[in-house]
Amino acid sequence: MANFGGFRGGRPGGPGKPFGEEEFNLEQMEKETEEMLKMRFLDKKNAEFKATGGGFVSLKVGDEEYARVQVVRMFPFTDPDHYISIRTSDENSKEIGIIKDLKDVSKETAELLISQMNLRYFTPVITKIINIKDEYGYAYFDVVTDRGQCRFTINMGGSSVVHLTETRILISDVDENRFEIPDVMKLSAGERKKLDLFL
Amino acid sequence: MKKDLFPKQVLKLLKENGIEEDDIFAASATDMNTDCLYADGFAVLTLKSLAIVMSAPDDKEIRSFKGYMSKDSFVFPEDKEWTVKIYDLKSVERLKAEPQVACSVLTADVDGVTYRLSAFSNLYKREMHTLVRTFDKISMELKAAEKLEGKESFGKDVSGKPETEKPESSESKEERIQKLKVYGKDDDKKDEYCPTCGMMYPDKSRKVCPRCMDRGSIFRRVLGYFKPYKARIAVLFLCYILTSALNLVWPYLNGTVLYDKVLAKNNEFLAKFGIEDGKYITALLMVVLTMLMARVTLIVIGMIQGVIAARIVTGVVRDMKKSIFGNMGKLSISFFRSRQTGSLMTRVMSDADRVTGFFIDGCPYILINGLTIIVSLCFMFSIKWQMTLMVLVVMPFIMLIGLKLRPKIWTQFGHRHRAERAVNSQVNDNLTGARVVKAFGQENRETTRFEKNNLRLRDAEMSIVGTQNLVRGSYSGIFEILNISVWLIGVYLIMVTHEIELGIMITFVGYIGQLQGPINFFSRVFHWWSDSMNSAQRMFEIIDSVPEIQEAENPIELENPEGKIELKNVSFGYEVNRPVLKELDLTIKEGSMLGIVGRSGAGKTTLVNLISRMYDPQEGEILIDGKNIKDLSFKSLRRNVAMVSQETYIFMGTVEENIAYANPEASHADVIRAAKLASAHEFIMRMPDGYDTRIGSSGRELSGGEKQRISIARAILSNPKILILDEATASVDTETERDIQKSISYLIKGRTTISIAHRLSTLKDADYLMVIDNGKITERGTHKELEALKGTYFKLMELQRKALALKGIE
Repeated sequence: MANFGGFRGGRPGGPGKPFGEEEFNLEQMEKETEEMLKMRFLDKKNAEFKATGGGFVSLKVGDEEYARVQVVRMFPFTDPDHYISIRTSDENSKEIGIIKDLKDVSKETAELLISQMNLRYFTPVITKIINIKDEYGYAYFDVVTDRGQCRFTINMGGSSVVHLTETRILISDVDENRFEIPDVMKLSAGERKKLDLFL
Repeated sequence: MKKDLFPKQVLKLLKENGIEEDDIFAASATDMNTDCLYADGFAVLTLKSLAIVMSAPDDKEIRSFKGYMSKDSFVFPEDKEWTVKIYDLKSVERLKAEPQVACSVLTADVDGVTYRLSAFSNLYKREMHTLVRTFDKISMELKAAEKLEGKESFGKDVSGKPETEKPESSESKEERIQKLKVYGKDDDKKDEYCPTCGMMYPDKSRKVCPRCMDRGSIFRRVLGYFKPYKARIAVLFLCYILTSALNLVWPYLNGTVLYDKVLAKNNEFLAKFGIEDGKYITALLMVVLTMLMARVTLIVIGMIQGVIAARIVTGVVRDMKKSIFGNMGKLSISFFRSRQTGSLMTRVMSDADRVTGFFIDGCPYILINGLTIIVSLCFMFSIKWQMTLMVLVVMPFIMLIGLKLRPKIWTQFGHRHRAERAVNSQVNDNLTGARVVKAFGQENRETTRFEKNNLRLRDAEMSIVGTQNLVRGSYSGIFEILNISVWLIGVYLIMVTHEIELGIMITFVGYIGQLQGPINFFSRVFHWWSDSMNSAQRMFEIIDSVPEIQEAENPIELENPEGKIELKNVSFGYEVNRPVLKELDLTIKEGSMLGIVGRSGAGKTTLVNLISRMYDPQEGEILIDGKNIKDLSFKSLRRNVAMVSQETYIFMGTVEENIAYANPEASHADVIRAAKLASAHEFIMRMPDGYDTRIGSSGRELSGGEKQRISIARAILSNPKILILDEATASVDTETERDIQKSISYLIKGRTTISIAHRLSTLKDADYLMVIDNGKITERGTHKELEALKGTYFKLMELQRKALALKGIE
């Protein structure tokens, strides 16, 4: 089945040619496939990232210039510092290139990109559990996070608490605000006991 | 943002900056600054400006999210410092709430540069969306007005939409603009706060405030379900009382009467019952007979009790399930789609059992066991208070063990339950995915994975057994100690001080045994009670849920409709700030066929879901024959609009029942005709039992194409005026598709048809085609017009032609 998205760039044949004149071209298809599979890696040599006045990041790569780009992790949980996709900022964003390792760019650039990603992946980290109460299908959390004390509510049914690893937990409240416990074992035994219901 | 919640000091601040409260068109709270640090803030929109008010980030403050959020959350200390930034609306080219992974950023394009204005958690997603939408509408009106002033033409508005009735309407520009005001309007209708405690509901669509939920009223409501069984319950209670009375008498018979009166040859006692002196054997026989009678009566009562209880339980459970299921059917699709409620459903059915179980096996015993304890203690006191004191000393320890250790068991039960679920779901996963596991040779890895879950289950089981043993051990240990010490005291009283006799001693020990059960019961009844009230609450939540899509109060019946469909300025999104359809305008003439083409996720299915009123549009309206579908009765809407969707569903039942689902009265001939039209007749006849073949989850497996043909037949038989085909032929082979194509050509005569398809060949009969991309209609016209346009449609056509050429079909 034809993929509607595949020709958005207007590659095959171009819309100019009238019907039926163009033969099916295997070579061209191979070329397109190759282009599809190609990964463009960005590093400090070929890409220039700059902070914009509005609080975002712009990119210049070769002759291409982007006033604002999106910085997206491919593996936000398992490998946050590698494989970072730089994408156009419009609604149907497309990949401009990939940063394989944040070390491939200058330290300033890495910091700039990280600050962008901190916004995108905003997730307060729970450092202390004051109280958890569950009642009538909801659990009420009163916790201290790296951004201050937070009180939120989760739904007991469903998948509000996700175990990213054996000890790492991601909690989504009723509005899908996220909170994270990077290592359950670092909590005190008493705190873990409060969390027992979700372990 | 509700008007009455908007903080006064912020209003004052705005006033100092030239913004009066009356000027505010929309307002939303925010809770993060541009660096994603928690801070308090507000975005305020007027006709002239956009103001962002922020406080400095403060990590000492407690952040309250939904469930903790209350009206007081917007009360700030007087001396709190705020900063205001005001943007002239003329310079703001675009305002957007950009969703991030778990928060959003408010951005604005000012003079060609995108600025971060503020960030906010999902708590404010909805009201910020409203603010942004209001901004869009205001700027559209303002620009339209500007254009009008510049040029005299009034042909099109800014969106390039064809002429609408706007110029004809008598509304002036000012009136239209004033209508856009949201601030201070509809406040009561969308009350998100519990009227009792002022907390924001955790889930707006379920107006339940878990904090204010009164267990007493839930309890009374459950009692209501038992009302029809009043007489039986009375008998049941009589049984309970008789049982406990007999149980109370038993130690007396067994101890005092047997030992102290009969075996001790007490003539006085014998005389009371009219037995001559010295006839001890007769007396003994009488006592034994009485004891036997008491036992037999207990057994008989127990049996009666069991039968009656079973009848009540099954009756009540049935009634409860009936009302749950009855309301479930009425609920809108969105209820089932939502993640939270989806999982709720599966639990609710077993909740009915749990609630009833508590009411039959728990509730009455609170009374009976309470009485048993009190009466036993009274008897014991009257027998020998010194020994009773011993019991009173030990009793708190027993209670303590229960209260301390039981919660541990419950968490362990929870662990076991989850471990069990993990094992079960893995087995299920592997059964359904057996082919993939085998194909990739991953049997060993799956076994290892299973072993891990299995071990966890074993460990959970072991720890439960461990704790249970501990509880049981300490229980009986304490009771043994109690028994021995009572015996010791007793023996002392019998042998040394001669205060009591052996029978009294036995009676006393009997009463201690009597106490064991009730004490045990009370140590777990509180948990049981709250558990069952939770279940009851979940159940009532479903029963009380109000469907989002409701029939109008005085619905209009559509009699012989023409089938004209109009969409006016329709916008819709499953989530607030992710619109799927954006301001669609569309007219489908009666009896014509419209073909819709578009990428997956472009909003095609959503569009037809709106027309069949599975969802209501957030903005705009949909008309059939000039009547808003919200005013039509469900019955006439469903009768006149039939949909064959990409998700085919086969109910448990025969082929005929499935085809005649919408029209159970249909004759055999009608069913066969529909099946033939849907090219289903031949494959149905190849099945052993023909039209009587059982299909669905427990019956014969059908292929995707077969299911699709059955659902087409179902739609044909319902004979609707408006037929919607949503990828109706996606999973049939080319040959069958050609057959169905023929039937569809026949079928669309005299009907309005909307057909969504990836394969353009399916749409060759369409009078009119349109391309949807990103929630908007990007191209529309006849096949020829679109071809000439050389846009998306043309490209798609070319691509499919090539694909066919590759297969050598064309």
